[in-house]
Amino acid sequence: MKAPYSETDHHPGAAAAQPRETPGAWLHRQFVGSPNWMILPLLAFLVFFFFLPSIKLMLFSVMTQDAQGRIGAPLTLEHYIRFFQVSLYTDVLWTTIRISIITSVIAAILAYPVAIVLVRGNIAVTRIVTLIIIAPLAVSVVVRAYGWQLILGNGPTGLLNYVLLNLGLISEPLALLFSPVAVVVGSLHIFFPMMVLPLASALGKIDPNLEQAGRTLGAPAWKVFLRITFPLSMPGLVAGVTLVFSLSAGSYVIPALIGGPSSQMLGNMAEQQIIAVYDWPFGATIATILVIIVLAINALSMRLLGGRNFREKQK
Amino acid sequence: MNGKLTGTSAVLLYLITAGMMIFVLCPIVLIMTISFSDGYFVSFPPTGFTTSWYVSVFQNSEFTSALLFSFVLAVGTTILSLLLGVPAAFAIVRGNFPGRTLCKGLLLSPLIFPVLITGLALLQLFSSYGWSTVKLNLLIAHTVVTSPYVIRTVLTSLELVNPTLEEAARTLGATRWQTFRRVIFPQIAPGIASGAIFCFMVSFDNYPVSMWLADSANTPVPVVLYRQIGTVFDPSVATMSSIIIGLSAAVVLILDRLVGLRRAMAM
Repeated sequence: MKAPYSETDHHPGAAAAQPRETPGAWLHRQFVGSPNWMILPLLAFLVFFFFLPSIKLMLFSVMTQDAQGRIGAPLTLEHYIRFFQVSLYTDVLWTTIRISIITSVIAAILAYPVAIVLVRGNIAVTRIVTLIIIAPLAVSVVVRAYGWQLILGNGPTGLLNYVLLNLGLISEPLALLFSPVAVVVGSLHIFFPMMVLPLASALGKIDPNLEQAGRTLGAPAWKVFLRITFPLSMPGLVAGVTLVFSLSAGSYVIPALIGGPSSQMLGNMAEQQIIAVYDWPFGATIATILVIIVLAINALSMRLLGGRNFREKQK
Repeated sequence: MNGKLTGTSAVLLYLITAGMMIFVLCPIVLIMTISFSDGYFVSFPPTGFTTSWYVSVFQNSEFTSALLFSFVLAVGTTILSLLLGVPAAFAIVRGNFPGRTLCKGLLLSPLIFPVLITGLALLQLFSSYGWSTVKLNLLIAHTVVTSPYVIRTVLTSLELVNPTLEEAARTLGATRWQTFRRVIFPQIAPGIASGAIFCFMVSFDNYPVSMWLADSANTPVPVVLYRQIGTVFDPSVATMSSIIIGLSAAVVLILDRLVGLRRAMAM
């Protein structure tokens, strides 16, 4: 294999740090004798097209935009102060957090039975369930949101209203669409697999003998679940909740298509500020707040999972 | 399978699971039903039966060219993600540089970052540099979002490859490239295949990145569909959606055939 000599000029200092080795030998070891350099193209790509642009966008949130649309000095916290002082904006923040929490909790509760069936059910059933859980992941969120528009449609021709009216359960069509409930239902539909998959993977790692022992010793099924299965499935639950919470907090399509004015989320507000108002610093402020929420949840989850692994290793 | 489900709790579990399956399938089945409705407005229950919406949708050049555009974009994104991702995953598993765990975290980080904000950051980058080639911008942006999927699937399968096989091949005189092609590649091929299929799917379905970067001449299919949902109220929108559902189903079946769904999802 040929050495990519063009890459070699970047490390003259590092070679000097190892006096026993000639620079040539060092370069040979790094670039011909090992695959280390192969990380560089993707790393450089992400630095240029992901890390730097994201950091720059977040820096916009502490900058000022002049009348010509130029963004720069003076540095200011006024956008954050405005965000937290105006109830219109903080309402959107709370709506985002509330919808994400409710979606994650409902998804977790409903995912347990499905995940248990996935790992313990009979083979034919698990195959069908796997297919039904995974296949919708491949369908665009836009399509699925449209499906929920049709189901929740206000007026007598929405699927749910039609069914309820004909069953005589309601006499007037319900206003289901364009509400926070609609957003929770839609988000649940989109993100449910993200809860089931890590949960099933964690449940699959539990030694069935433990549950067997619990049952043999006379514990009822619910107690076996609460005392044995549930605690051991924690890593999957934490991973699933983190995923579902982060993804729903960053939603755009679902609130835009099936949420009303009262259920717009941070993503929708950021889009409005950028596209309609052309206020980049304020849009960047909203984006930064969203990013901080998502990163905080992920950091917390890593701590929980990491601490757990650590304790297990100590035993 | 380990341990069997029995008794009343099993019945309950199966019932809840069945309910969730109906919940998951309901919107998809409904869309497909309505795509055959011959009414002029979308309504439930669908009236009549016609395939004419399919004919008119395939004559709609806005939709068909978006379909083609999305397909080409997804293929390009997949190729670029593999070219960048497979070597990087290899370097993380087989390399010996310090900070490999940190690098792995960095390469996977676009997965946890809100995709909408990734798109916004790139819109800012491209406009500040005056990069107005929308096709290239979309290719770059989609690759940022999809490359972690390659890293994840290829890492998982590389970690299962026994390094002594490579050493044996090298000792017996195979070059690095020969070792990769004959010894490593066959073992990580399923990982590469599922990574590639994930890339294709994620790119083909993406709305929140494309929304910032697309223009009227370069519109991926989810953007066209999104616009149609707000402006067109006849069943043609359901028909377009059904076509996308059909294509997605085909991709899932390919994934199942090539790798197996459970394995691809690391279950």
